[in-house]
Amino acid sequence: MSIPHAFQMSRLSRLLPWIVLAVTLSVTWLLWKHESRTSRKEVRAQFDFALRDTVSRVEQRVAAHEQMLRGLQGLFATTGLKNRAAFRDYVETLQLDANFSGVQIIGLVDRVPGTQKKAHEAVMRGLGVVNYAVYPEGDREFYTPIIQREPQLGRNWLPPGLDIWANPDRRMAMERARDSGQAAITAKVRLAIDKKPEAQPGFIMYLPVYAHGQSRDTVAQRRSHLIGWIYAAFYVEDFMASLYGTSLPGVVLDIYDGAEPTANALMYSVGNRSELARHDGLHANEYMVVAGRTWTLSLHSLREFDERYGRNVAGLIAATGFILSLSLALLSWFMVTGRERALRLAAGMTEELRHMAQHDPLTGLPNRALFSDRLGNELARAKRNDGHFGLIFVDLDRFKPINDSFGHAVGDLLLRQVAQRMKETVRASDTVGRIGGDEFVVLMPMLADAEAARLLAEKLRQAIARPFVLDGRELTISCSLGVALYPDDGQDEITLAKSADEAMYQAKQSGRNRVWLAS
Amino acid sequence: MIRRYLFASLLACCLVSSAGATGYGCARAYSLALHEHGLLYTMATDTGIDKDVADELIRRSGCKVIVNVMPRARIWQLIESGALDFSLSGITNPEREKFASFAWYFSNKYYLLVRKDSGVGTHADFERNARLQLGVIRSFRYSESANRLVDSLYQANRVSQAGGLEPLYQALMLNHIQGMIIEPFDYPALDEKRIREASSIIAFNDPPVLHGLIMSKTALSPEEQERWRALLSEMRKDGTIRRIFEKYFKPEMAMNMVNFPGGK
Repeated sequence: MSIPHAFQMSRLSRLLPWIVLAVTLSVTWLLWKHESRTSRKEVRAQFDFALRDTVSRVEQRVAAHEQMLRGLQGLFATTGLKNRAAFRDYVETLQLDANFSGVQIIGLVDRVPGTQKKAHEAVMRGLGVVNYAVYPEGDREFYTPIIQREPQLGRNWLPPGLDIWANPDRRMAMERARDSGQAAITAKVRLAIDKKPEAQPGFIMYLPVYAHGQSRDTVAQRRSHLIGWIYAAFYVEDFMASLYGTSLPGVVLDIYDGAEPTANALMYSVGNRSELARHDGLHANEYMVVAGRTWTLSLHSLREFDERYGRNVAGLIAATGFILSLSLALLSWFMVTGRERALRLAAGMTEELRHMAQHDPLTGLPNRALFSDRLGNELARAKRNDGHFGLIFVDLDRFKPINDSFGHAVGDLLLRQVAQRMKETVRASDTVGRIGGDEFVVLMPMLADAEAARLLAEKLRQAIARPFVLDGRELTISCSLGVALYPDDGQDEITLAKSADEAMYQAKQSGRNRVWLAS
Repeated sequence: MIRRYLFASLLACCLVSSAGATGYGCARAYSLALHEHGLLYTMATDTGIDKDVADELIRRSGCKVIVNVMPRARIWQLIESGALDFSLSGITNPEREKFASFAWYFSNKYYLLVRKDSGVGTHADFERNARLQLGVIRSFRYSESANRLVDSLYQANRVSQAGGLEPLYQALMLNHIQGMIIEPFDYPALDEKRIREASSIIAFNDPPVLHGLIMSKTALSPEEQERWRALLSEMRKDGTIRRIFEKYFKPEMAMNMVNFPGGK
């Protein structure tokens, strides 16, 4: 393989590390993206599960309470509403069951036609309810007094006889229960037993009781055969605490009454709300229908949730992939450029060797070999074009005493400065060479005549004659120059050199520090 | 005249006894669940198409069937577990085919109901606008394009779920959701002026989807399923199903819904 071809190949292969970097970074990016998506999906699935599970737990709990009321419904459908002892026993039994710990009160509402109010009060007093009276007072088409509440604990105690029909939230739920025959719950209400200064959110579930054996297939039938309601009252806080299962950490759950999540409608809130502003997590609303009433469940995920269920390796993949990509690119760069760098080093060393072989190590001027080569070339060119050129031999005058007096170091320094001055003085096309200790030669191509050669030689003489400063010491030296011209003083290298040498010798003989033309 | 009356009574007697004789596998009491959904069933009045179909099925079978009302998602769970025998107006998909079989009795198309101020003219408009939320009833499936839209929005966290239709209308009016998928049973709500004025309807370009009696494969043997399917088929053939639908829809609409090609 030739060297240029090798360099061309290396130019192509120089792209390889970049290609490796691009490919490995792309793979890293794809993996990172895939992992991020998978992780997001996982979190999303867990979040959906949390929401579905919460909805399901609330629904199950409501259904359980409805079942409990249905038991009572069955009891009263067969025994009538006035079986106070049976009701008390039933609730007492329930109280033993921790499952119903969320229930504050279970109550019984009688439906009394307006004409039978007095008789109803008499019956209730007859049953042992001392001073029983329907309140608030006033004549109405019918009354719906609460005739019994269980359990009758101190904190739950209220005088029986409260007619709740006037309360719109309770009335709407009671009407819904009456017309559908199903359980119905109220909007968010303050329970009658709630005596705290600040209302605790609560709700009441009603179930209708119809006269035993009467048809209730239509709304009209259900209305006419209704004898009362049973109900269960809840504080939302306690109701939620009684849900089956454990709630998920790392979420904020809000429950609102109705479809509009306003502060007034908020019934329940759990979770570290202060973290919401700091974390852009998942959020979903679910509009669940609980016994005919809409509750909005609003669920937010917090950092804890996302970290728990997110696989969280996307960052690791990105960092590892980035480092690996760089390492691989670097490795391929070393592999690809190893040969190229070796070739470049060899070429550099070759060039250096070549330079060393053709130049004087002290002054950096072409040595005898290179000068001879250039002289040969110029000779050939001049012959071909019938041209002229000049050759100057320069010998420093009395250099040896300087060397002896000041040492070789100073002598060498002087030689370097002389060489520098000569290079600065000649034309760009001229060649200055060093052929011996204090002997220099100058090749002057394309000269018009001998006078031009003499002028250039004279310029050189004057340049060298100017004082040199070496290590703070001023030194002066002169030189003798012999000038030979092609073709007048010689037509080959040897003759020309001889002529110049002889001219230089003549200059020395004539008292030094002068220029001598060969002819 | 009297003779004709006697003959008719005798025939009715025979038919009833023949129904009793063939039996519909009334070896036990069955359970059937309704869900509140527009004209299908309204708990407040305890009426609806599903209720009528259920009453007629119960009457004809002579079986004791305990009817409950529960959320649709719960119904599918119980049908799958076998704790519930029947429900009504169900549509199928490969997942449901594993645990439920169906006896079709009507078909209908699905529509996207959108708020007018959402600037949506097509389903694609809705999908493109990342600010728009779609409301759906949990566990409901729809026609092919509607399912595709729901699934795509679900992945983008743009779906709000509900346990029933009513909260979705409320959420739509409150602009918490900007669209929902509706069926012809949901039309009465559109009679409400405020909903009608604020919304517009975009039809999904899918063929009508079959709806039917849902039977739990876990709870009912293939023979039982076939007997109930035959019973429903009788109700279709003798026009009972059509008459039930005509109570709730205009005759032409009812006819379109109960006459579908290929229904078994």
